[in-house]
Amino acid sequence: MPKRTDIKSILVIGSGPIVIGQACEFDYSGTQACKVLKEDGYRVILVNSNPATIMTDPQLADRTYVEPITAEFVERVIAKERPDALLPTLGGQTGLNTAVELAKNGALDKYGVEMIGCDLEAIERGEDRKLFNECMADLGIETARSGYAYSVDDALALVGKIGYPVVLRPSFTLGGAGGGIAHTEDELRLIVSQGLELSPAGEVLVEESIEGWKEYEMEVMRDKAGNGIIVCSIENFDAMGVHTGDSITVAPAQTLTDLEYQRMRVASLAILEKIGVETGGSNVQFAVNPRDGRLVVIEMNPRVSRSSALASKATGFPIAKAAAQLAVGYTLDEITNDITKATPACFEPSIDYCVVKVPRFAFEKFKGADDTLSTRMKAVGEVMAIGRTFEEALGKALRSMENKHEGLGADGQPFDEDRFDDLCSRPTAERVFYMGEALRRGRTPEEVSAQTGIDPFFVDRMADMVAVQEALRGHALADLDADAFWVAKRYGLSDPEIAYLTGSTELEVRARRKELGVVPVFKTVDTCAAEFPSGTAYHYKTYERGESEIARGSRPRIMILGAGPNRIGQGIEFDYCCVHASYALHDAGYETIMVNCNPETVSTDYDTSDKLYFEPLTFEDVMDIVDAEDPLGVVVTLGGQTPLKLARALQEAGVRIMGTQPDAIDLAEDRDEFAAVLDELGFTYPRAGMASTYEEACQVASDIGFPLLVRPSYVLGGRGMAIVYDRDQLETYMAEATRVSPDQPIYLDRFLESAVECDVDALCDGKEVYVGGVMEHIEMAGIHSGDSACCTPPFAFSDKIVAQLHDIISKLALRLGVVGLINLQAAIKDGAIYVIEANPRASRTVPFLSKATGVPLAKCAARIMAGEKIADLNLPSDTRRIEHFSVKEAVMPFGRFPGADTILGPEMKSTGEVMGVARTFPAAYAKTQMAISYNLPKPRNGYIFISVNDRDKRHIGSIAQDYLRLGFDLVATEGTARVLRALGIPVKTVRRVSQPSPNIGDMVANGEIALMINTPYGHDTRDDGYYLRLQAVRHGVTNITTLAPAQALASAMETARMGELPITALQDLPQVYL
Amino acid sequence: MSQLANEMLAHTSKPAPVPALLVLADGTVWPGASCGAEGEAFGEVCFNTSLVGYVEVITDPSYAGQIVTMTYPQIGNYGVCLEDAQRNRTAATGMVVHDMCYTPSNWRSGESLPAFLVRNNIVGIEGVDTRALVRHIREVGAQQGVISTLDLDPKSLVAKIEAAPSLSDVNYVERVSCEAPYEYDASTVPASHAFALAAPAPERYHVVAYDCGMKDGILENLARVGCRVTVVPWDTPAEKVLAAHPDGVFLSNGPGDPDRVEGTYTQVEKLLGKVPVFGICLGHQMISKACGAQIEKLKFGHRGGNQPVMNLRTHRVEITSQNHGFGLLFDSLGPLVPELSGGASAPHADLRYWVEKGIAPVVHNDRFGRIQLTHVNLNDGTAEGIALLDVPAFSVQYHPEAQAGPTDAHYLFTAFTRLMDGRSDYLDIDIAADRLAGWNFGAAKEAAHA
Repeated sequence: MPKRTDIKSILVIGSGPIVIGQACEFDYSGTQACKVLKEDGYRVILVNSNPATIMTDPQLADRTYVEPITAEFVERVIAKERPDALLPTLGGQTGLNTAVELAKNGALDKYGVEMIGCDLEAIERGEDRKLFNECMADLGIETARSGYAYSVDDALALVGKIGYPVVLRPSFTLGGAGGGIAHTEDELRLIVSQGLELSPAGEVLVEESIEGWKEYEMEVMRDKAGNGIIVCSIENFDAMGVHTGDSITVAPAQTLTDLEYQRMRVASLAILEKIGVETGGSNVQFAVNPRDGRLVVIEMNPRVSRSSALASKATGFPIAKAAAQLAVGYTLDEITNDITKATPACFEPSIDYCVVKVPRFAFEKFKGADDTLSTRMKAVGEVMAIGRTFEEALGKALRSMENKHEGLGADGQPFDEDRFDDLCSRPTAERVFYMGEALRRGRTPEEVSAQTGIDPFFVDRMADMVAVQEALRGHALADLDADAFWVAKRYGLSDPEIAYLTGSTELEVRARRKELGVVPVFKTVDTCAAEFPSGTAYHYKTYERGESEIARGSRPRIMILGAGPNRIGQGIEFDYCCVHASYALHDAGYETIMVNCNPETVSTDYDTSDKLYFEPLTFEDVMDIVDAEDPLGVVVTLGGQTPLKLARALQEAGVRIMGTQPDAIDLAEDRDEFAAVLDELGFTYPRAGMASTYEEACQVASDIGFPLLVRPSYVLGGRGMAIVYDRDQLETYMAEATRVSPDQPIYLDRFLESAVECDVDALCDGKEVYVGGVMEHIEMAGIHSGDSACCTPPFAFSDKIVAQLHDIISKLALRLGVVGLINLQAAIKDGAIYVIEANPRASRTVPFLSKATGVPLAKCAARIMAGEKIADLNLPSDTRRIEHFSVKEAVMPFGRFPGADTILGPEMKSTGEVMGVARTFPAAYAKTQMAISYNLPKPRNGYIFISVNDRDKRHIGSIAQDYLRLGFDLVATEGTARVLRALGIPVKTVRRVSQPSPNIGDMVANGEIALMINTPYGHDTRDDGYYLRLQAVRHGVTNITTLAPAQALASAMETARMGELPITALQDLPQVYL
Repeated sequence: MSQLANEMLAHTSKPAPVPALLVLADGTVWPGASCGAEGEAFGEVCFNTSLVGYVEVITDPSYAGQIVTMTYPQIGNYGVCLEDAQRNRTAATGMVVHDMCYTPSNWRSGESLPAFLVRNNIVGIEGVDTRALVRHIREVGAQQGVISTLDLDPKSLVAKIEAAPSLSDVNYVERVSCEAPYEYDASTVPASHAFALAAPAPERYHVVAYDCGMKDGILENLARVGCRVTVVPWDTPAEKVLAAHPDGVFLSNGPGDPDRVEGTYTQVEKLLGKVPVFGICLGHQMISKACGAQIEKLKFGHRGGNQPVMNLRTHRVEITSQNHGFGLLFDSLGPLVPELSGGASAPHADLRYWVEKGIAPVVHNDRFGRIQLTHVNLNDGTAEGIALLDVPAFSVQYHPEAQAGPTDAHYLFTAFTRLMDGRSDYLDIDIAADRLAGWNFGAAKEAAHA
């Protein structure tokens, strides 16, 4: 059946901001879908509030709405654009939930919009545990024994039948939020009561624990003719009990016999049929008892997912693209296999390599949070690696993590001896390394397997890797002959590991290895294990004394280094920049070569660049590709810290760095040299000093005065940054900092209290500078720029300040020798501009600014790096007036880290961002708040709670007045209440959390509080405010910790009250197409 | 291997490496290490793309006279469960893998794959760039080769290949077929499959099966749909079979060149029209030969578990398990019958033409009347199945019993029972409706049926 011609326009809903459990894999799927639907001639309308996505590029859809993904806003888009159909399965849980709401509230019927790709009943059968379990019972397929609880008592009754431990899953929450395993009644009471609140349905599933069983995922596709295929099977390295998003996973399944695998296969297909997934991709999860093969289905997702993105990258089968085509009526046999271009997509990929995915965590960002992995996902990113063996792939994955590991532990990284046994068995981010170390120390594979529940197959492979490492330890590099190198490489050892084991350097190892002729070959991901020829250049590296499959093209080649795993501080924004560079350079006639190891991204889609190398971003792996491809140059300044760190070493190895040179990067990074540049140019900057001990720090403090911004000397995303107001806080900080990294000195900057910060991004070609825009932060100085909301154009800066900022960034860019992008962070206090830092590379704000101004900055930067001049790009004047305001707001992951403090500070904690566009700043700001929390607080939701520190007490009056005017009643703790009453503002006094009930904590728990304004003081993490903030997270109450956003939110509510916020498509705003 | 390299491997799960060579007739040399029996094994070098199921593959009698290369690089991970074997006697001569697992993990595993290979005298080689080997075979076509752990001189090995018989010189069927008839029924199905497969249906049919190298998986499937099977040698006279008055006759898979199996297809010619007949793989070729059709040798065959086949009668795609190096030339069965072929009278070598038209074409065969093309391979447009419309017989080139591979085509066993029941719509079964037939998903269902 060919494509449908009765529908002409299709609405696609994205997944919104990057949050844990819903990350940039949905940009990858959405981008594929939009592309293929447009190619097929449909008019594509897109709603997605996330500006850092490729899918929201104005060329990708016909109409792009960067608006909140709420039923209200999407309905308004429907009313305006009148699409024929809605495709809801590509925007994760957010997109699906919104679609369900629109179907249920009648909006789809009202406007005659057909839901394609999935129907409402199927979604409900897939997502509602009760309906799902009934379907499984009909099929005769087992689910874990379970029941539903609507109260803690219900749960206790169920446990009476099932027995501890039990798994608890709140219904309809994202990525399993609020779930957990209870081994005792206390745990049960805690998790169930939390889960009941988190679940929109007030429902928690209580289920027999199958902890320790083997866990599998099947990625399934089905078309409307009823053809079904398995795209990929995935086996979890971590046994049941760890969320699959937090597990190391392996594709294909490794330890199932054909009989077991085929049983799982037919079950997967039957489940899709039973649930009623008419077309598209779904994911079905199973548990298998390793002792008797008993098979239990865990859940299914009737939509594309993180796992389907992984499966697509692992096999080369583009699930999201195919899902979009199936939704418009094609059948699988009508779609051509995108990789071979000759055979049909109606087949099951056969792969001839092993794929390992390892999740990336950020526990170091969330002090106080429990680092045990559980059924609630906590990973912020992941890496994937491809090898010809599990050993090779695991080694690659572990060195891709950007956490100092060079592989499976032969790198001298320290272990926590006090907690060694605990960390060998308890699932944490580091367990795989502790398992390796335990094997190294003589524990048997059987013991390690028994302690962890991890299948002996995997532990045995790790034991082999360790055995090879240990045999090498102590040998001199000169002892290694070619055979020894081949063995080491086949067991996944990296050059740095060989260097560590042989007491040499990585460069020496590389030289020796190449001299002996031990160089890798490159193989191809082709979906068919080489049975058919494939023209798609999707490659991976392996050590094989055989054939390499790459062919150099005739066009000049440029290599782009991607951003590696997502983590806080380095996210989708950098992938966006890399993808844009690839597009722009391809269009300019170059052959583009992408190198990256992050399976969630658009950059690792095989059709983004001319060639894709799915490889770690280490010196060794990048140089091996350079040796094979001999590119004209390498782009390192668009992928954030990961590629930037390699710049110097690559240059020293003779690789041409495109654009801004490593010298310029170092000049901007080196504080003393950079200060000298600022002095030379006559720019002011906060006074600063450096200290290695508390005593030295006190000396600096007495020179430049409190408060101080303190941080380790080499940081990403503000790790380890804090503001200290007195000696006590300084002492605590120094003690902690010197414990964590004894060798790193601490920087101490004068902190500009209540200054306004801004970001400026600009392009420079070495002669001319083009300012992309100025972004005014909403939060006052002291909040990391990645966590601060910002607005462009600035709403409160004078023309003079803006002109000065243009002048500063221009002079800096030229002085530093920037060729490409530069980002400036500055603070404005009392009319004076202080330069805080300059980064001669793509910044986090580039995608947002590009969307806000219509100028594709990353594309421009790539073209400049390849030699074009700004004058050639025909950009609009950078002093033009932009008639709309764009606001970016950060999204926090606190809900995932119970126990971690939610206070914002100089250390970045956000995972993603949303954008709001409107004619005024408050309207744009209001949209960002709705995009995050779906609704602005209303008086009927309860009181506004105010408790501010002494510094803020003078300024709280006018804000409180605003909320009063909006119809809210106020409550405050005693000190704040006294101030408000003195200003004539009516307020109810409430007891602090530490005081006896009823106190503010009870009010939050009872749902009496609509919004909290709670500004903390200093760095104390265990005060009253801390517990209150935790309570707020637990109950989903918005909590504002600085005054500026409290003010902005009040204005936003005021605007929202005056009527509907109009919606705007990006295509209606000025756009520059390169 | 250098001394240091051997030291590095000494404490791994692998034994000390014993050098081995794979050499092809074209002189290409693929060095590696022994991972099975030591010795010298000759055969046609082929490759199988199944990700799982190496036990079923290496024990499949159709691989007689062949050296099997597995494209998935790590083989042996879940060891060997002997009841998954397709025959108690192995027929393949050699096995080529990238990396062999000596420490497998699975609750049903009784021994490691390398131990199994040694016990069954299959010469194995690991450490080969199997992907490069597959690409080579894909380009130059299937050819003879040798794995040796004894003679590591490529020139001498090439000379030995030239002296060894080629696949088409030998009637492998004669070698792998049973010597005397035997019975297979519900009581014979493997006990260790009970956790996953439902108990066999009550016995309703008696089937005589020609054993040309039959996989036990086929017998298991026949038994599970209610057949008592009398397995007979490959060249059993038709008269003897008919004398037993079976409800149906089954023609099995088997190795080698179908032209060599005259002893079977001449008997099939006598059986057609007298009793319902179902053929799989070589059995399909036997029916085709009995109809006087031509068989071609494919460049490198279809071997794996992911081949898409379109059922032209239901327009559904089945993902199938395949293992064949020869195939039917559909047009050689006779001229098209235009009124039963959408008006078309000109043949099309690429049978995907019929897929696009949505038509199951019919030819007129001068021996048995109308023959319909029922199944087509979507990868290359070759014939995968036929149904005789004037005689109760049908056959498929692929393996509905799977083992190893997907079970989408399991419905064909049901179809055979319907044919034996005399139904004319015997082939029109929705694969979704049949999907879970014969499987067992645990206690819940058993309790429900109890």
